[in-house]
Amino acid sequence: MTDNTAQGFTVPIGPQHPALKEPGHFQFTVDGEIVTRAYVRLGYAHRGIEKAAEARSWTQNLYLLERVCGICSHIHALAYSLAVEQLAGVEAPPRAQAIRVLVAELERIHSHFLWMGVSAHEAGFDTLFMYSWRDRETVMDLLEGLTGNRVNYSANLLGGVKFDLQAAQADSIRRGLDFLEQRTRHYLDVVSNDAMFLQRTRGIGVMTRAQAEVMGAVGPTARASNVGRDLRVEAPYAAYRDFPVRMALDERGDLEARFEVRIRELFESFRLIRQILDDLPPGELGVRLPRRIPAGEAVVRLEAPRGEVYYFVKSNGGDRPERLKVRTPTICNLTSVVRLAVGHQLADVPMILAGIDPCFSCNDRLVQLYQEETGEGRSMSWKDLRQYGIDFYARRQA
Amino acid sequence: MNPLAALFALLIFPGGLSLLAAGLVYEWVDRKLLAGLHNRVGPRWFQPLADALKLLVKEEVVPEGVNQALFIGLPLVALAGALSAAVYVPLAGLAPVHSFPGDLIVVLYLLSLLTLGMGLAGTNTLDRFSLIGATRTLTQVFSYEAPFLMALLGAAVVAGSLSVSEICAYAGEHWLILTQPLGFVVALIGLMGKLEMPPFDAPEAHTEIVAGALTEYSGRGLAFFHLGRSVELVVGLTLVAAVYLGGLSSPVWFAVKTLALLLVMVGLQALLARLRIDQTVGLWWRYGALLVLVQWLVLILIQRS
Amino acid sequence: MNTEEILNLASEVVRAWDWTSQVERPRPGQLDVYISSLAELVPVVVGLRVKRLGYLAAIVGLDLGPAVDALEVLYHFCPGDALIALRVRLPRRDAVLPSLCEVIPSAEVFERELAEMFGIQITGLHTPERLYLPDDWPDGVYPLRKDFDPGLLNTREGEPRS
Repeated sequence: MTDNTAQGFTVPIGPQHPALKEPGHFQFTVDGEIVTRAYVRLGYAHRGIEKAAEARSWTQNLYLLERVCGICSHIHALAYSLAVEQLAGVEAPPRAQAIRVLVAELERIHSHFLWMGVSAHEAGFDTLFMYSWRDRETVMDLLEGLTGNRVNYSANLLGGVKFDLQAAQADSIRRGLDFLEQRTRHYLDVVSNDAMFLQRTRGIGVMTRAQAEVMGAVGPTARASNVGRDLRVEAPYAAYRDFPVRMALDERGDLEARFEVRIRELFESFRLIRQILDDLPPGELGVRLPRRIPAGEAVVRLEAPRGEVYYFVKSNGGDRPERLKVRTPTICNLTSVVRLAVGHQLADVPMILAGIDPCFSCNDRLVQLYQEETGEGRSMSWKDLRQYGIDFYARRQA
Repeated sequence: MNPLAALFALLIFPGGLSLLAAGLVYEWVDRKLLAGLHNRVGPRWFQPLADALKLLVKEEVVPEGVNQALFIGLPLVALAGALSAAVYVPLAGLAPVHSFPGDLIVVLYLLSLLTLGMGLAGTNTLDRFSLIGATRTLTQVFSYEAPFLMALLGAAVVAGSLSVSEICAYAGEHWLILTQPLGFVVALIGLMGKLEMPPFDAPEAHTEIVAGALTEYSGRGLAFFHLGRSVELVVGLTLVAAVYLGGLSSPVWFAVKTLALLLVMVGLQALLARLRIDQTVGLWWRYGALLVLVQWLVLILIQRS
Repeated sequence: MNTEEILNLASEVVRAWDWTSQVERPRPGQLDVYISSLAELVPVVVGLRVKRLGYLAAIVGLDLGPAVDALEVLYHFCPGDALIALRVRLPRRDAVLPSLCEVIPSAEVFERELAEMFGIQITGLHTPERLYLPDDWPDGVYPLRKDFDPGLLNTREGEPRS
């Protein structure tokens, strides 16, 4: 904790704090209840993935990068696959691309339901939290039925996808979507009409269009401020060329708009998934890729649930990448949120933070736990670890 | 009253142990019903007891920089306040153990001791979450206390007495919820504010300030505060039910009426999102106080005619 | 404006002044700008912003290795589906870059990352503190450089990293 008198009254939030489900550190200097200064420190979930990727083969990296984020795992694997395919000069067959988009949209539904629950919880509205998480189970079951996993679906291969879509699976997805669509309609009603909830969202954390552009906001956060940034529309990738989507925009730029934009996106996802199920192109599920990828650079940008994911992959013609850079949407939106918090009530800060759907483990990728990933780290038995803990504190006491 | 009977009433029934037990039961009902509305399973019947016992046997950590006597004493004062308030209300539908003219005011102040204790406990520590929580707790006291008091005084005026037992006797013949609906609403919601239930849980909003004023408390102190809150839940429900729902004449009616009130409170908790502290204050002074004043105006007009 | 027009506009922005920076089109939809002198970096960025040519998607650092003895920094701007890449070469020793914070506030996080991961000194940064690396990380060790020794990470908790 820092000195109280020098900088006013500073409230630390994180790295361990009930408002944050993941580690990040924020310091808010408050005057009474009003925030006057905000500061951010990241890196608590740093795993060194960018460096680790340089030590792994092209195929191994697919599994590593799927684990950048626990919620939008598919989109990371997809971005990496597309980048490698671009370097190798091949394109996955249409059926594979459609299945990739199908999983991506199911993941978006999953992520938005999760987000809705978390931010309702930040507002102290636990009923919405519990219900949206119950409904999220439906889409997780669908994903499990399709891919075998509730998270980290592992649907992608370099050059295609791992599995085909059966008729029975398509039917269960349709049934699940019918239920979710009916629930989503109800939630849209709640977030746009519940007077008590609107007190916590309407006019809070307003980001104007100009601010959103200057601060480089992406995804639903930008679209709620009327910045038309949606890569599925601007630069369609995979099967979005054949299955176009409409962008959900809002001009209010406050928390209410961020709720509404995400919920309206859900309807678009439902429509898109149904359309893909109806018109799934026939054909192969994948193409073969060479073990060595030709030298070159590839940039791939995809629309993750939280906004734009950016991958830069450089190959030197070897069997592993020369350099891999991941930029997740949260890092773009975090700068904006830290600025937005100033001038607001402390009570609104968790809501504003949650409003961008932050994902810290996406953000923090580099170095700290590198030794474990390369297997060079020490392994300790439970007994050793316990003794180590006792010694550590004994040393500190002395 | 002979000393033995008084001791029994204080320690065993209806005060003391049985009141603590009732507090735990009501807390369980509250949590279980809320869980039902949240679509959760909720705790098993002995969970509040298990929580309390666990906290009681845990080590109590006294942080640096606090006034030790206050840190240990305040939870006791808070619990004692809630327990002594029970002496003046018709618990379990029985006549109050002790009664004197004007005890309504004493009850209300004893009930406030818990909140006051929590606020002071928060300001006693150096922790900033506690300090903000304490500021919010005390701010909230000043917002709901006056409307709550005025609502109950409305009942006292028509009963012509400031004694809880006489008000209850009067309420037994007149259902005040019908004649003073506005007062009832303010009193019930005021009770939710007193208990810091959602939507008035800004003082302990854990997504902002961890556990508010009680952040530094662990073990015994925390258990006492929790028990005090459970007891206050029972006492407050008894008071509101006795005054507005036609008095409390038997244990069965006591259970039915207080549980019905609790059900309403649980429904409100599930329906409403948390209010910011400025919104809470605004709500009480803009609407709560106004409603009570309207109630008073009506009462005065009726009494005149 | 379609992609082609955007990229033509961008190359005009770079060519408009008497700068030494070169423009190249490696593939459709992408424009590479080789910034030859650091003094031209900020003016080019300002030019792109004035014409509203995309937002800063990322700043990528590359270590070309001790053999080439150079670092490369890529500034990726993305208008629509086009890609404008500003490429800057720096020496591995005493690498210095001007900060873009004054023009693009969101550049700050990327620049702090460059500073701690590649050891590029950024001039004019508002908060030059560490963003990702731990507080006890040793000075002068830059993990994303090719000659970084991962053995450094094999330290026990509580001991200083050496």
